[in-house]
Amino acid sequence: MKCALITGGSRGIGSAICQKLAESKKYHILINYQYNQEAAEKTLEEVVKKGATGEIIQFNVSDSEEVKCVLTAWQEANPDAVVEVIVNNAGITRDGLFMWMTHEDWNNVINTSLNGFFNVTNFFIQRMLRNKYGRIVNMVSVSGVKGTAGQTNYSAAKGAVVAATKALAQEVAKRNITVNAVAPGFIRTDMTSQLDEKELIKMVPANRFGEAEEVAELVGFLASDKAGYITGEVININGGIYS
Amino acid sequence: MEADLILEKINEILVDEFEVDADIISPESNLKDTLGLDSLDYVDLVVAIESNFGVKLGEADFVGISTFSDFYKLIETKIQNKN
Repeated sequence: MKCALITGGSRGIGSAICQKLAESKKYHILINYQYNQEAAEKTLEEVVKKGATGEIIQFNVSDSEEVKCVLTAWQEANPDAVVEVIVNNAGITRDGLFMWMTHEDWNNVINTSLNGFFNVTNFFIQRMLRNKYGRIVNMVSVSGVKGTAGQTNYSAAKGAVVAATKALAQEVAKRNITVNAVAPGFIRTDMTSQLDEKELIKMVPANRFGEAEEVAELVGFLASDKAGYITGEVININGGIYS
Repeated sequence: MEADLILEKINEILVDEFEVDADIISPESNLKDTLGLDSLDYVDLVVAIESNFGVKLGEADFVGISTFSDFYKLIETKIQNKN
């Protein structure tokens, strides 16, 4: 059984990616979530509607012991399963000016995006290397590439994942494993629902927020066997806001 | 498991895993150069040893391992410690 794991797959961009990857019917879709079981179940329903199989796996990507424990149990229950695609999408924001930022908000954001990438990817990488095939897509952000005021923690976490993407890509390229990052700008999801869209689109040459499905199309391509010669890249998808 | 049986089994694994002729393996030859191992190949080696002997190898275990003979001794010690 070939599998694709999407962390933070229950909502927003993550959910759209689960549904996109389901369309290929090539993968058993592993939908990871932390809090919103209802949303995860809804995503699973959509995956099944598209003719793929899938399951929900709950764990907190930032908790290394929990990740190891849950994924070990899953792998033991599915010894023949091979995770060929990992989409590290789980992320949180705790915005605020740096001068007021608490240690907790700094750490929580770093732990989820950066350590989450390590915890999940490191668990599977040896098997992927043995399998001599893999696609790793790290969801970063325009903030991680250009930096965004009020998001020093988020920019730092995503910027670090960009660097890790480039380094890991070089380590594993020989084994037909690609590692890329996708950096969305303003995408209409729960995460951006509190933002003043009318005001912010003035900054976007395309004059609109992007849709999660548009990001999922790009991730779907990078996760496919057609994208085998693209690795170590950061691909911006932001309506022209920054490249 | 006796030392010569371990040696025989290890050679069998190496020949199979790295597609080399058995006669190029000799105790005093250099393990890495003879098998043409790159850093990623160690993953295959570690997994093959673990699945055949039930012992785990880490990065630190390979420090000071140069020849096949060193490698045989490492695995023998690991198996003894396990039992």
